[in-house]
Amino acid sequence: MSLEVKVPAVGESITEVTIANWLKKDGDRVERDEVIAELESDKATFELPAEAAGILHIVAQQGDTIEVGAVICEIDQEGAAPSPVTPAAQETAPTGGAQASNAGEAVEMKVPTVGESITEVTIANWLKKDGDHVERDEVIAELESDKATFELPAEAAGTLEIVAQQGDTIEIGATICRIMPGAGTVQANAQAAAKQEAATQQAAAAQPAAAPSGAQTYASGTPSPAAGKILAEKGVNPADVQGSGRDGRITKEDAQNAQGRPAQPEARPAAANAPAQLAATGNQQTASTGDRQQRREKMSSLRRTVARRLVQVKNDTAMLTTFNEVDMKPIMDIRAKYKDKFKEKHEVGLGFMSFFTKACTVALQEWPAVNAQIDGNDMIFNNFCDISIAVSSPKGLVVPVIRNAEELTLDGIEKEVVRLAKKARDGKLSIEEMTGGTFTITNGGVFGSMMSTPIINAPQSAILGMHNIVQRPVAVNGQVEIRPMMYLALSYDHRIIDGRESVSFLVRVKELLEDPMRLLLGV
Amino acid sequence: MKYDVTVIGSGPGGYVAAIRCAQLGLKTAIIEKYNVLGGTCLNVGCIPSKALLDSSEHFHNAAHAFQTHGIELSNLQVNMQQMIKRKGEVVKSNNDGIAYLMKKNKIDTYYGLGSFVSKNKIKVTGTDGNVQEIETDKTIIATGSKPASLPFLPVDKKRIITSTEALELTEVPKHLIVIGGGVIGLELGSVYARLGAKVTVVEYLDTIIPTMDRALSKELQRVLKKTLGFEFFFNHKVTGATNNGETVTVTAENPKGETLTFEGDYVLVSIGRKPYTEGLGLENAGVQMGERGMIAVNDHMETNVPGIYAIGDVVRGAMLAHKAEEEGVLVAEEIVGQKPHINYNLIPGVVYTWPEVAGVGFTEEQLKEQGRAYKSGSFPFKASGRAKASGDTDGFVKVLADKETDEILGVHMIGPRIADLVAEAVVAMEFRASAEDVARMSHAHPTYAEAIKEACLAATENRAIHI
Repeated sequence: MSLEVKVPAVGESITEVTIANWLKKDGDRVERDEVIAELESDKATFELPAEAAGILHIVAQQGDTIEVGAVICEIDQEGAAPSPVTPAAQETAPTGGAQASNAGEAVEMKVPTVGESITEVTIANWLKKDGDHVERDEVIAELESDKATFELPAEAAGTLEIVAQQGDTIEIGATICRIMPGAGTVQANAQAAAKQEAATQQAAAAQPAAAPSGAQTYASGTPSPAAGKILAEKGVNPADVQGSGRDGRITKEDAQNAQGRPAQPEARPAAANAPAQLAATGNQQTASTGDRQQRREKMSSLRRTVARRLVQVKNDTAMLTTFNEVDMKPIMDIRAKYKDKFKEKHEVGLGFMSFFTKACTVALQEWPAVNAQIDGNDMIFNNFCDISIAVSSPKGLVVPVIRNAEELTLDGIEKEVVRLAKKARDGKLSIEEMTGGTFTITNGGVFGSMMSTPIINAPQSAILGMHNIVQRPVAVNGQVEIRPMMYLALSYDHRIIDGRESVSFLVRVKELLEDPMRLLLGV
Repeated sequence: MKYDVTVIGSGPGGYVAAIRCAQLGLKTAIIEKYNVLGGTCLNVGCIPSKALLDSSEHFHNAAHAFQTHGIELSNLQVNMQQMIKRKGEVVKSNNDGIAYLMKKNKIDTYYGLGSFVSKNKIKVTGTDGNVQEIETDKTIIATGSKPASLPFLPVDKKRIITSTEALELTEVPKHLIVIGGGVIGLELGSVYARLGAKVTVVEYLDTIIPTMDRALSKELQRVLKKTLGFEFFFNHKVTGATNNGETVTVTAENPKGETLTFEGDYVLVSIGRKPYTEGLGLENAGVQMGERGMIAVNDHMETNVPGIYAIGDVVRGAMLAHKAEEEGVLVAEEIVGQKPHINYNLIPGVVYTWPEVAGVGFTEEQLKEQGRAYKSGSFPFKASGRAKASGDTDGFVKVLADKETDEILGVHMIGPRIADLVAEAVVAMEFRASAEDVARMSHAHPTYAEAIKEACLAATENRAIHI
């Protein structure tokens, strides 16, 4: 039996790889998990381990660029026998001829390398059940890392044997599941199962009393006496438990494994409940009439990482915030005047973001400490301004980076903002697009925030908070005028940035925004 | 002394509750009015009656069945003294067993009348008049029941007796008149009928064992008439009884309003049992009574006073030892915050006549009343190889199943050893098995249990194999 090895999905933005180096020659014997080739994408290089033991037949040659999912080589597992016998080969050799369905070895699927900084992933969702039949390349699970989610395609066809459960966080390279070659004899795939069920139902119609085991019946979801007690104590509704007993009955083991959720308000009268509470282990709730449901769900890997980092920043830096305000009238006037022409010429709208980004890059170059960062006992100063933009995405807060923003024109910045924001919304940002950054801009104004103190995006040293624009009376040349005003907040790490620098930086940003001509003249 | 839980009454409800409390780590005391543990069931109920039923069945078989089996006896005689003595030994060994279980579980046993002084204080008055007071956090009342009597028919314990005295007779009655065709009357009537007494049953209703499926009462009535010569008078209202010294006269009114007279030497009043709460001092704890002398409890067996529970015959529901036991366990577990549940519909009812009678789930009459679509499958012991071999061919197994889903809704049996077989029906029904499920499980051959499988086959789609 020959196993086709395909280019694994290595990251969302990567569609093709180049074979940098074959470490094994055509016809060589390879062991499972032995590295057989080095692949190169436009972002990184990575190693290709053998998915099974056997004789290697190279399909794609060194230097070839092939698409993800294309066949890269074949491993002849039958050929494993004559080679020096290894424990793995020993298992297969004796049965190889006798039982066709057992001829292949189980393919052990491991967590693929998805990025340099990622060491672990969380299994967000198993799309196939244990024992299901899967086709090769069929997506069987969704994995989630700190930064992105990606899909896990089956590396072989066969019966899925799940090793790591949904919600588990496992390291790169750890075994995630096994695929037993040969068609799943017990459970066919979903379609076949559906067909089978239909057939059984027909049979049942002919023979009214024939209750096919495993089908939904009147008894499905019935807890056994012991299971019922356990579920009552956990506050779990039997309807929420998948019964593994005959015809879906809930066994004691099912009940033991059921996830306890905070009890729903019980129908029992309070007085009746009182004795039960003597030594009750569960949540106690005081009598209350209103609906008081709670919902508990696991934090996503992304959420956990964000949470950990935010707390870490608060603890590890000397963070404080300085404020200023900016009269937005000049920029609004410019926008009003050139909006249409800008759009016509650059095919992108003229927003505020480009002005703020540009103003920040100018000010950052004048006050380099704000654009610097601490690394151990050193300070790293950057001569480029990589501006991180905080974007709220369905998965949570993400911070893509506009590289060398100081060199970009206003339309260049706008285009980049649009591109990154769209990818963020679609959850398609690559890890590279989110790493780095020397300074961050966050705009709480879009949600109506008037004033806030943002938290630094570590290891950066400062973050600018934009807010909403409000018509306010201000004194202009001794006269009270109504102007569109915005408060600006700059949170910074006092360990590296002094008050003079931070305040001056923010004043400079204000000046540039209130008189955009300065951006043009560089004064 | 101060206890977490005090149980009043050491019958099957009380002592089981005490053991379960102790298992759950509660410091437990048990109070018993009499000087032996075990309550009605063990001392004057289930156990001694079964001892006499077994003894009398041996005699009956020796007298009537042995010859067919090729065993000949002469001078067959009843030694009533020995029979009662043996019964006493059976009871004694069970008494000792419970005393051992109390000790093993470190439960403090108090002998004397327990009564509430207040919610958390109980006074125990010993037979010698010695008074002890114990403090308790929770209390479980398990004081059980006493035989009920008719106001116009006082029990004199000599000729006019209850089940308690019927277990201590020193002679075999010539003619025993049984008032009430319930479980107790039929069981004790059977004991003496087997030993040679003529037994007449006078019943107010139109059937014996009225709570069970009608098919069972009909078959039992037929067999008792046929094999033991029972006489039955239904729809007869007993109006009085007179102890004439050597004999007793019972008067009753027939459905037409005419008065009948029955002459016998003993009359057994077995019209039921009533909850027993005398001397408990419930008023001192503020515990409210329910209807017909019962203590009112909620689904968790708790009375209106938090921390005071009641179980068994003293509360609503069937007066059965195994029902009381389940409630005892339930209360103990409730006290420590667990959430047990009792499915009262699946508490089996059993009558230890021969043939035995047992049933669980809904009767056919109940299903009709509910308007439920059901199907029925029966298998007679006449067709059972095992029953033929032993010669116990009376009776049948009847399985009632849902017409659509095939779920077993009731199993009703009369036949040899079916008091033990009903456990299979309970297990199947607790797991909501269908008739076909049971029909597809292997039953050892030859056994009486095969009849259950065959009845399930019959209920499935009328495909019993052996009939």
